[in-house]
Amino acid sequence: MFDPAVIVPPALISLVTAHVAGALAPVVWPWSDRVKNWLTHGAAVAACTAGVLIGIGGLLASDPLAFSLPSTIPLLHIQLRLDPLSAFFVLIISVSGVAVSIYALGYVREFYGRHSISALGALYHGFLLSMILVVTADDGFFFLIVWEIMSLVSYLLVVTEHEKAETRYAGFFYLVMTHVGTAFIVMTYLVFYQQTGSFTFDSFRHPGEPLPDGFRTVAFVAALIGFGAKAGIVPLHVWLPYAHPAAPSHISALMSGVMIKTAIYGLIRVYFDFLGGAFPWWWGFAVLAVGAVSALLGVMYALMEHDLKSLLAYHSVENIGIILLGIGAGMIFQSYGLSHLAALGLLAALYHTMNHAMFKGLLFMGAGSLLYATHTRNMEEYGGLIRTMPWTAFFFLVGAISISALPPTNGFVSEWLTFQSLFLSFMLPDPLMKIVIPIGAAMLALTGALAVACFAKAFGISFLAMPRSPHAKHAKEVPMPMRIGMGALAAVCVALGLAPMVVIPMIDRVTSPFTGTRLAQSAVSESGWTLTPMGGEFASISTPVLMLLLTVTILVVLLGVVLIAGTLKRRFHKTWGCGITLQPRMEYTATGFAQPIRQVFSTIYRPTVKVEKEMLEESRYFAKRMRFEVHIEPTFQRYLYDPVVRAFNLLANRLRVVQAGSLHLYLAYIFLTLIALLLWVG
Amino acid sequence: MTMIQSAALVLGQAFLILAVSPFVVGLIRKVKARLQCRRGANVLQPYSDLAKLFKKGAVISSTTSWIFTATPYILFAFTLAASLLVPTFLSRVPLSFAGDVITVVSLLTVGTFFLMLAGMDAGSPFGGMGSSREAIVFSLTEPAMMLSIFAVGLTAGSTNVSTIVHNTALLQGIVTDPPPHLMALAALFIVTLAETGRVPVDNPATHLELTMIHEAMVLEYSGRYLALVEWAAAMKLLLMLTLLSNIFAPWGIAIQPDPASLAIGLGVWVAKVSALALLVGLIESMFAKLRLFRVTDLLGVAFILSLLALVFFYILRGRP
Amino acid sequence: MVHPDLGSQMVNVCSMMLLVTSFAIVAQRRLSACVDLFAVQSVFLAVTAALVAFLTGIHHIYVAAALTILIKAIIIPMILKKVIERLNVQREVAFVINIPPSLLICGALVILAFSVTEPVASLGFLLTKDSLAVALAIVLIGFFTMIARKKAVTQVVGFLMVENGLFLGATAAAYGMPLIVELGVFFDVLVAGLIIGIYTHRLQDAFDSVDVSKLTGLKE
Repeated sequence: MFDPAVIVPPALISLVTAHVAGALAPVVWPWSDRVKNWLTHGAAVAACTAGVLIGIGGLLASDPLAFSLPSTIPLLHIQLRLDPLSAFFVLIISVSGVAVSIYALGYVREFYGRHSISALGALYHGFLLSMILVVTADDGFFFLIVWEIMSLVSYLLVVTEHEKAETRYAGFFYLVMTHVGTAFIVMTYLVFYQQTGSFTFDSFRHPGEPLPDGFRTVAFVAALIGFGAKAGIVPLHVWLPYAHPAAPSHISALMSGVMIKTAIYGLIRVYFDFLGGAFPWWWGFAVLAVGAVSALLGVMYALMEHDLKSLLAYHSVENIGIILLGIGAGMIFQSYGLSHLAALGLLAALYHTMNHAMFKGLLFMGAGSLLYATHTRNMEEYGGLIRTMPWTAFFFLVGAISISALPPTNGFVSEWLTFQSLFLSFMLPDPLMKIVIPIGAAMLALTGALAVACFAKAFGISFLAMPRSPHAKHAKEVPMPMRIGMGALAAVCVALGLAPMVVIPMIDRVTSPFTGTRLAQSAVSESGWTLTPMGGEFASISTPVLMLLLTVTILVVLLGVVLIAGTLKRRFHKTWGCGITLQPRMEYTATGFAQPIRQVFSTIYRPTVKVEKEMLEESRYFAKRMRFEVHIEPTFQRYLYDPVVRAFNLLANRLRVVQAGSLHLYLAYIFLTLIALLLWVG
Repeated sequence: MTMIQSAALVLGQAFLILAVSPFVVGLIRKVKARLQCRRGANVLQPYSDLAKLFKKGAVISSTTSWIFTATPYILFAFTLAASLLVPTFLSRVPLSFAGDVITVVSLLTVGTFFLMLAGMDAGSPFGGMGSSREAIVFSLTEPAMMLSIFAVGLTAGSTNVSTIVHNTALLQGIVTDPPPHLMALAALFIVTLAETGRVPVDNPATHLELTMIHEAMVLEYSGRYLALVEWAAAMKLLLMLTLLSNIFAPWGIAIQPDPASLAIGLGVWVAKVSALALLVGLIESMFAKLRLFRVTDLLGVAFILSLLALVFFYILRGRP
Repeated sequence: MVHPDLGSQMVNVCSMMLLVTSFAIVAQRRLSACVDLFAVQSVFLAVTAALVAFLTGIHHIYVAAALTILIKAIIIPMILKKVIERLNVQREVAFVINIPPSLLICGALVILAFSVTEPVASLGFLLTKDSLAVALAIVLIGFFTMIARKKAVTQVVGFLMVENGLFLGATAAAYGMPLIVELGVFFDVLVAGLIIGIYTHRLQDAFDSVDVSKLTGLKE
């Protein structure tokens, strides 16, 4: 029989080779930008294709595969291990990577002559490779190194357009936040190290003697904060809406779609693999609560955002929240020993992780296309683009429908699974849990509804009605590679929605080692077309049948209408605007669209409205000029971050005394430190 | 059930939903007219309206895109498909395996999503206003809807509409714990009023653009497009009323697909839906439309009622 | 004799209605409707008490039920209605916390009450054991109403809701207090209602408003 594992080693070698070659090729020879672009991103497509093979091979392999390189540094073991969890994330990264690399072939044209294509390409390869290494590293030390490389490379990519002050600010913010996160991840690993005396994941997994409860709790909290900062959970999300939009759009697609998923990988690895077994109930509950709050606040802030890329970045916060709802539910079930339900929660979370990578990548590429065509990120300056950019509009619509969790797309399937796992809370013995978890489901419902509203706004304002600015009026459809990249992910989104019965057995291989149960047989009905997480009587969906039903009804309606009423006599006329010719300025704006929501949730937004009017001198009823400004309060920055920053600045000012500027004094510091260390050691 | 039987039942249900839904709208209008001491139009007037609209040509705004013309078809098809997942006269719908109650809600949401887009497509400020208001009403409705569905689902131990209806129908009139059921019923009723654009949330009979929600979104439609949109709205109303009546009082519904019980089930279904339509008409006559920002109070009440339903379910059932 | 399950279900429906009316009071914008709803709540309370009396055969609860109707559903609402009539214009409830967040907070209070009484109620054997959580919830909501609403009338209603909750609690936990205690309590409530009614009049005369937050002006 063919063992799928055999394809992994050659694929791994070709992946590394392609990345190295792709990174170096443009550097070694002064080709034109165009050639460099094709060389480097062509190599990236090849590398990611190899990554897809690795992912599939690793998922289907019967045993985890391990690779190692010799290392001369003590404590550092360069070890890779490809178990189903790693393989699953490799697959996600690579599939997005293929599409994004194709897209980049077109998108990077924007940078010809303005930025170094070789540097961009080299960093791009470094970014992709480091993400693959993060999810396959099998040693704490090595993990931290590649994690740090991933963070630094992505920082450098964020500040590609460093001539803009806001980009530099975004990059700095990101750099600080990601290092705060890394510090907590180091802490998590140190807890394990302190107990096991080794940094290998294997020793974390099987410590000689089990960790004391206190240490386990420290590891849990530190991992939640550390990985949470990368994933963008509330309140550690503040960097995300700055950094993700500032990067070039194909990088944003990878950062928002894939990079933040490495944090989800880290959480699952630490919680289910290292700390696995019985958790205290409040762990899962804490994750669930963080998830619910992140989901709701993420979408709420997204609604107020009119920079299309920031809007999408806030939606990443929302979707990370939804993923955490699944993980949290899984952890709660795990702590009560309901392993079947735990598997379901984890399944929902992983399914959503994959879906989010696909549709968020797609949407960011769509936003990038708009940026490419109009040179602005402000939605208020778009409008009517569906006519000039039909392909982009169509792909963006597919992404919008998926992220809004509308049937029969992939977002719907995973959100449905999340709802089901929350609904199953009635199986828990604790009465309080039974009531509180459905409230989480209600929050998820509100989140979903607001996401629908938000994407109706995003799509409607950007693509429909009349162009709101000259930029939008003169926009052209984007080049072919960009369309192919978007089209590929749009196809994947639809396919993942229609084929849950293929995806679920795959994810089942990931979750079964952690929960000890297999869902594949029970979660998919015998015929293979229906999804039945807890048996058909309980609840079931079948997206292929739904799709068929919808197609048939649409066709029947189309046909029926023609048969009954004959062909339509159509007249085209401009929209009636109460007697005056409609101007683009009279259209509903994004700000106006979100106004009712801003008012209803004003407790959360705390909007400040400023209206300046300048009246005609002859009459106070006719305005000459009006200016309307509305801001929502950046609550977290103002009340959580600013005080910390102020405190640090104050402290730094105090410590300035140490910095006297005298070389002798500095030498004395070093000398004294040395003496102190010697005394302490001796 | 054989394949042919199932197919016949699905087709029959589709036909019934299509046929009965304009009647419900006509009935509500009649009730309102009577309560206002008018004779009112014939109950069958909506059928004539639809027929007339289908015959007419359509004026399409030149600023619109394919979204505008595709939306009526998408809306109609998705609403019809959602109706096929809900038991009407037979407790076990052949297609129920394809989606549960969450799916039904999501399918309806697709229609709402496209309507919001279509509202913005013509570039008229009225359409945008309608879409924007629909967004907030719809968003606030959703959590109450989900929680009340949870509360009901708990009683039956399932989120599958057919299972819920079937199990409740088997109880033969004895609901063991009325409080959670009653509260969830009240919550879902408010949700129904909000979802289908009825007074006190929206006024389907208004001609004042500034107070419209649903009507403002579809302001630019004419001819067969308008017919499809109106028919879909009627189907959605019928679907929600069917859900209400069959989830909370499924008695009389056919449990087995034999001709006698099917006939009874059909009669009972029409009777129950008509009764609910009378109630909706009564409420429309008794209450004034709320200001948009007062709607939050009403939907807040619906949310709390469904939460209380859940709490009561566990107070009464949670312990051995 | 009624079937015990049916009996306890009827008690449950009644106590549910008590809770629902509490929420209705919280969600109400008009003062007079608040008072009406309070009267309705008191009627439900009386019905609950009468049901318990009927089911257990403890007759003095009937007396308490009758007094509830007389004092809380008739006399006190009448006094309050008079007060509101005198206010002429300001018939709207004034809020410290708006309706939707109030509702959410009250929902949280119900969950709190439920989880706190859970261990007690699961030990109970009385047919009213499930009402204990409801009783505590009504007490908490009443308290919350007193905090979150500005006008004196709404505070009286809040206070009376607390009282209703306590009465329900006493019925639920121990099939009611001894008759003499209950009589004393009713008398207290009546006197309290009268005093607050008079006090509201004075407040109106002194400040031209029944907004109790105006009282902060007294500290100077």
